[in-house]
Amino acid sequence: MNVIETKKLTKYYGNARGIIDVTMSIEEGEIFGFIGPNGAGKSTTIRTLLGLIYPTSGSATIFGKDIIEAGPEIRQEIGYLPSEVFYYDDMKVIDLLNYSASFYKKNPQVINKRIGELADLLDLELRKKIDDLSYGNKKKVGIVQGLLHKPKLIILDEPTGGLDPLIQQKFFSLLKEENEKGASVLFSSHILSEVQRLCDRVAIIKEGKIIRVQKISELLENNYKRFKLDTATKVDKKFFANIKGIKDLSISDRSVNFLYRGQINDITQKIANLDLNNILIEDPNLEEIFLHYYQ
Amino acid sequence: MNIFWHELKQYRRSTIVWVLSLCFIVLFFLSLFPVFSKDVETVRKIFESYPVAVRDALNVQIDIFFTLNGFYLFIFTYILLTGSIQAANLGVGIISKEAAGKTFDFLLTKPITRTQLITRKIAAALTLLIVTNIVYLAAAVFTANTVSHGDFEMNIFILISLTLILVQLMFFTIGLFLSAVLPKIKSVVTVSLPLVFAFFIIGMLDSIFGNKVRYLTPFKFYDPAYIIKNGTIEFKFLLIEAIFIVIVTVAVYYLFNKKDISAAD
Repeated sequence: MNVIETKKLTKYYGNARGIIDVTMSIEEGEIFGFIGPNGAGKSTTIRTLLGLIYPTSGSATIFGKDIIEAGPEIRQEIGYLPSEVFYYDDMKVIDLLNYSASFYKKNPQVINKRIGELADLLDLELRKKIDDLSYGNKKKVGIVQGLLHKPKLIILDEPTGGLDPLIQQKFFSLLKEENEKGASVLFSSHILSEVQRLCDRVAIIKEGKIIRVQKISELLENNYKRFKLDTATKVDKKFFANIKGIKDLSISDRSVNFLYRGQINDITQKIANLDLNNILIEDPNLEEIFLHYYQ
Repeated sequence: MNIFWHELKQYRRSTIVWVLSLCFIVLFFLSLFPVFSKDVETVRKIFESYPVAVRDALNVQIDIFFTLNGFYLFIFTYILLTGSIQAANLGVGIISKEAAGKTFDFLLTKPITRTQLITRKIAAALTLLIVTNIVYLAAAVFTANTVSHGDFEMNIFILISLTLILVQLMFFTIGLFLSAVLPKIKSVVTVSLPLVFAFFIIGMLDSIFGNKVRYLTPFKFYDPAYIIKNGTIEFKFLLIEAIFIVIVTVAVYYLFNKKDISAAD
């Protein structure tokens, strides 16, 4: 069964484009990535699914039920974490979490226990006022708030901003745990490596349209790496001439910059012949991926 | 019920301040009544030297001014003004604060409908207004009784006082409507204060508009002179208010149910 199914979901803000004909389905039990640059329509899609905004045309179902007609019923089983969290500043963390919990028809004792567990795990102080929390700590409140009622569907809209690497790690393993217990996850991000780490499948959205849905394993197969080399002397262009899989090569005085796709050993052996001051190998950013995968 | 209690808590402090202000005003002004009523002739002469328009604007009716209820009318203008600001603040703020504080995302991703959310918020606001009026009425009756040594028509006094909540309900409803139609309201008082004072000033211009001013501003909607004369509130106006509130409230529900809650950033 599909947890989320959208059919030609379209949203215009007046004349401004939000999303156009978004059709996708997310299977029960999968971690689904939703990736695209800022302004591509990730948040618009998610906010439409949550009933915060209304589609101009098209439709969507969650748990097989229409998102508009069955909104409240659906949201009983959804946990949502937005990219930026806003709460009532004058409330204490625990009061806010209890307020949040009070909306769900679930055993309060189970929820209370869950709040305690999550707060311990994330190292969140429950007695503090929301106003006194740092950005990252507010985000932790958001995580607890989104997971405390053990939702069947977790929707995350660029959730990692503001989290330090350690907490991010814990957060990801928390999501994996929930997923193993049966929760489906929709995870939007503009950072490919995040999505790679977590997701089974990924939809790529650009300028409001889904341009591709693919398995992460497939995406990794044609995975480019961005190489940035600082060299002691200027490198001759011919040096890279007979290597397959190099794209976007630019050579300036003492630096070389290119995208590479292929056997890592081949390229590292080749580079070993150069007189290097520094080397940086990283995932290309999304823009580059769009440029090279989907031209 | 959770939203209801949450709102009560959020407005607890400000409501206490408003209640205390109203009680203070009625206590302070009514305690001046013995001074005015002691020297009737002098005060009458002062007021008679004023043009009628000024007297009307101040809500001074010389023939009854020296009874407690007549004096109460004079100060009640300021009670109404204060209470109206409280009600307009509630009306403008109770829903729009979720937009200003960007907490709509939190609330509306919960398993509730927008209609439920609005209903609970309105219920909380009405509770606050009713509590305000009960405390105010108790303080006012107590003060009136003390300064006049029981020599006043209690039922008239109470009827006049009841128009406070009737006027507050109008301002609350108008405030709600504004919060539904205006784009993001950053600060509640920048909407509520101009609203209340605009109507207050219209009310002071009744010499220009004549009797029709009643239909232009909540401040003149209920005629206290009628209450004093007939011992009852005009039914027709209660009906008009009820119809007005129902229509506007339905519009508020409709508008909020249709609204897109734009992203926080």
